[in-house]
Amino acid sequence: MSTKSNKITGFWGNFGRTFAYIIMILFAFMAIAPVIWLIINSFKSTIEFQTDMVGMPNNWVVSNYAGAWKIGHFSILFVNSIIYTLFSVGIATILSLMTGFAFAKIKSKATKPIYSLLILGILLTTQTLMVPIFIQVSQLDMGLGQLFETLRICRASDFHLFYNSRFGVILVYIGSILPIGIYLSYEYIKGIPTEMVEASRIDGATYNLIFFKIILPMSKPIMITLFLLKIPQIWNEFALINIMVSKLNLQSLPLGIYKFSGTFATDYGKQFSALVIGLFPMLLFYVIFRKQITESIGEGAVKG
Amino acid sequence: MKNIKRILLLLAVLSLVLSMGFAEGIEENSGEKVTLKVLNYYDTTEPGYEKERQVWQNFRDENPNIDLVTEDLCNEAFHQKVSAYIASGNLPDVMYMYPSGRSMAIHENKLVKDLKPLLGEEFLSNFVSTALNTKTQGSGYLAELPQSICYTTVVYTNKGLLTSLGLKIPTTYEELKAMVPTLKANGIQTVLMANKDDWVMQSCLFSTIAGRYVGTKWFDDVKMGKVKFTDPEFVQALNMVKTMYDDGVISRNTIQLAYGEAPGLFASGKAAFFVDGDWKESAFLTNHTTGESLISPAKQETDLALIPFPALPGENYPGTVSSTLGCGFGISSAITAGSAKEIAAVKLMKYLYSSEIQQQYLELGRYVPTRKDVSAKKVEPIVKKMMGYYAQSESTCYVLDSALDPSVYTVLNKVLQEIGLGSKTPKEAAAEVQKAMDKYIAMQ
Amino acid sequence: MLNKEKEEKKAYRRFVIPSLVIFIFVMAFPIILSFILSLSNFSGGKMFGGSRWKITGLQNYSYLFSDSYFWNALLNNIYLVLISVFGQLPLGMILAYLIYRKTVKGGEFWQGILYVPSVISVIVIGIMWNLIFSPYGPVSQIINNINTTAFTKEVMAVLNGHLDFNGALVVNSSLIKDLVNINAQAASLLGDPVSVLTTFLKTSATGDLEETTRLLTNLLCPKWSASFLNEKGVAMLPILFVTLWCWTGMYLILFLANMQKIDPQTLDSAQIDGAKESTILRHIILPELSGVILNSAILCIAGSLSTFDLIYAMTGGGPARITQVLSIYMYEKAFTGTPNYPLSNAISIMMVVFSLVLIGITKAVQKRLEGDR
Repeated sequence: MSTKSNKITGFWGNFGRTFAYIIMILFAFMAIAPVIWLIINSFKSTIEFQTDMVGMPNNWVVSNYAGAWKIGHFSILFVNSIIYTLFSVGIATILSLMTGFAFAKIKSKATKPIYSLLILGILLTTQTLMVPIFIQVSQLDMGLGQLFETLRICRASDFHLFYNSRFGVILVYIGSILPIGIYLSYEYIKGIPTEMVEASRIDGATYNLIFFKIILPMSKPIMITLFLLKIPQIWNEFALINIMVSKLNLQSLPLGIYKFSGTFATDYGKQFSALVIGLFPMLLFYVIFRKQITESIGEGAVKG
Repeated sequence: MKNIKRILLLLAVLSLVLSMGFAEGIEENSGEKVTLKVLNYYDTTEPGYEKERQVWQNFRDENPNIDLVTEDLCNEAFHQKVSAYIASGNLPDVMYMYPSGRSMAIHENKLVKDLKPLLGEEFLSNFVSTALNTKTQGSGYLAELPQSICYTTVVYTNKGLLTSLGLKIPTTYEELKAMVPTLKANGIQTVLMANKDDWVMQSCLFSTIAGRYVGTKWFDDVKMGKVKFTDPEFVQALNMVKTMYDDGVISRNTIQLAYGEAPGLFASGKAAFFVDGDWKESAFLTNHTTGESLISPAKQETDLALIPFPALPGENYPGTVSSTLGCGFGISSAITAGSAKEIAAVKLMKYLYSSEIQQQYLELGRYVPTRKDVSAKKVEPIVKKMMGYYAQSESTCYVLDSALDPSVYTVLNKVLQEIGLGSKTPKEAAAEVQKAMDKYIAMQ
Repeated sequence: MLNKEKEEKKAYRRFVIPSLVIFIFVMAFPIILSFILSLSNFSGGKMFGGSRWKITGLQNYSYLFSDSYFWNALLNNIYLVLISVFGQLPLGMILAYLIYRKTVKGGEFWQGILYVPSVISVIVIGIMWNLIFSPYGPVSQIINNINTTAFTKEVMAVLNGHLDFNGALVVNSSLIKDLVNINAQAASLLGDPVSVLTTFLKTSATGDLEETTRLLTNLLCPKWSASFLNEKGVAMLPILFVTLWCWTGMYLILFLANMQKIDPQTLDSAQIDGAKESTILRHIILPELSGVILNSAILCIAGSLSTFDLIYAMTGGGPARITQVLSIYMYEKAFTGTPNYPLSNAISIMMVVFSLVLIGITKAVQKRLEGDR
């Protein structure tokens, strides 16, 4: 409605406009240039790249892609990456919203301590987590494996619940998303008027109903935010998955891409095509959902 | 009713979860199937990687009762995983490791077995005696069987380029220094090194320089406090590094040169000499799948030379080159002695170190094996030249990141870069390294 | 009434316990273990029922405080935090504001563009970074080409001033002096420029003036290289800039989303009342966003204290540790050489402590600002 009156006019408006355009064009250039450079150079053979890193390829080599895909077993890795990203981000988002809702709208003395504990998780880095998580999962697997062996269910060495299992990986990823997820959800849901919740309660709705029918739809903006934050992060995640799996058929794309730079040399040709393959779904995701993103963010505004 | 629904849901979830856990399938307790977990260091840039799978597959085919679970990692991913394994005390059954240095924790905690009794005298007699020298293994016993001896200083020389400019291969530092103006005038670097990673200067050049001035035993003494880094002999070595930068023999630019950039630059004639370790030869080999190479075999023959670093002014141990035992596989000490697993592990080791497999690695150009009975008939010229380089080196000295504790050599790495940047004098650098050594000695 | 409370409690548990359980599994154990290890002398081997290790107290922390490299890394981190918080947030805010107030067209497009950096894998940024500023990379090439062309002209001029009747070059001390004087500083890099040039000209004078010019240019022309990357204070700047580029987009989206939640009526009535732009900004928009600003500050602080991948890929913390930050320092202790688990965990704990301190300060500041109103 009031699109016109939102304009800033005058000196500051003009100055602001120039400033903004300069920054955005600069940043945009810095964002696009690497991607284009990467794509162009993925068509050079490694040898050609090593002798000329800047120019256009003399012969356009397509074999890098086929080579990278085959050698890196990308068909498996790709599927794994999709599974890990979708499941972990999806489940973590729902859990975060649930917990955020409980903290924000249900009075409880337990909230403060639990919340503080959860927030501590935001401050931990992946390296801090790596070794302890490994110790934990390998001990758990060993222990449970022994138990199952004595119960004659299977052999101990075949028991893989946490280490070398998709379940374990997804669990760890969910755990790493929860602190931020809960933090953001809590802050956001706080802003939803409590009257709505109370009115529904008076009407006799259960909390489940309230959550799924009212809170969830209203939380689209924060869900989108979480997706934007976490999907690329989990897609490109490397250190934790390296710790959690050792089998090839459970690995994800970043590990595969990593294999192309070794101690002796870097197989740039294949590494670049591997990087493009890894980048591609993310770009696709962004292009497809761009409309959704801005729409729902705007939608949240009108409703609020 | 609600509760029953809940329980059913729980059971469903549980069974789903457990079924994922058992995705490997439940093994029948039939037969003597042994599972061996292997951690291999291997990436797609190693020469002949496409043949690597075959190596392991052959073993599987020949040994149907051994279930081989291999994990291939490289670089940081490898070290991170190893660190995690060490912390859990739960190593893979057979794993790739270093004789000291980055695998020191494995040695110190005796997490692998002594291979001497396991492999036996007869098998080990197939390997050169230097490989079996346990003194330089962190544990003091044969924790891993080195696949090769690693010479960390090799001067790759563009002989063709020198000849075209009327220059000869230098045998002394003064001769090398005299070449700088001519090379510079033609827009060519004298000595190229990829010094952005700080370990490169220390491992690939300084270890040799230090060895030429102070020798080997000196480093055993410094660890016991008998001599100090601030003593003039060692400072002389640090001074040599500064001199090389000041004389323009090594450009200060090299500190910004990333490790992967260097081979391409050398191969395209931008530098006359390239100093790196012997492992770098594989960067110049022919890629078997594409047939391309940075330096074609023909050119390797005519234009490439591998020379020892020229004689340094005032050196006390001429001709010495820094070398260390190469990496190899070890067997985890968690395996019960005499068990079927141990027998399987030994079998795997003997297979990996057999003359057929080592011959294959030699021909692929991966390294020069310590195994004696391999023939160098079908190798590229650069590999032959490398073997010649090994043969002519008169004596060897320590590679400093194998000889010194990490808390000391990381400081050495750093100050070497600072000398190159000009932000520290050799005397100050020596003092800083000595400080780290004092701290280390105090904590013993 | 009681039933309602019961239902509340049950719902609360339902919604909270799954997250809590997963969190305990994934994070609680590492936090506790990390803390215990930092007080011990564990050095590998079986942790439970294996190698002998014991609690040794605060010696790892005292080691840290006495280690100059720790303070070096900490300082770099503080630098990073300050620039991040006072760079990414204001920039994101300004851009969001300008888009929101329709000063700039195509807000959606820009939002999207600025989001792309967070999608690009760190490996790409690292490789590109190393190549762009490499001594043989495009930037060096371009600058050196420009320098060389200009320099060649000067050399040519000097040579032309020293020709004899036949057009041959007269090699004497005056020629050498003039050559050196083109750029005395660059010439001094040759060691002893006079003797070097004399020898050189005697041995390689081919009579071809152009060839000689070319050779002399190579010898004497100062070579540009990205040496600012080697200087202590300056080297962090490019990293700060790249970090800014990576994350501003996220804050832009956050701020913009919350700005759009403001009731447009309020803005309309304010403008009708004749309020100036700055008043609107200060009294309507900023207060509405104060919560988001605080959250973003917290996220930003936490993020910049733990940033690892980007810096590691770009510089590895070097050269000579001038760009090393706490996370890289910790990585070095944990994964290179002999893993020093107690020390690296002590560093972790310190990082958490610093984060908490900084966040505490931020919250206090915000409370005071809010109190003022």
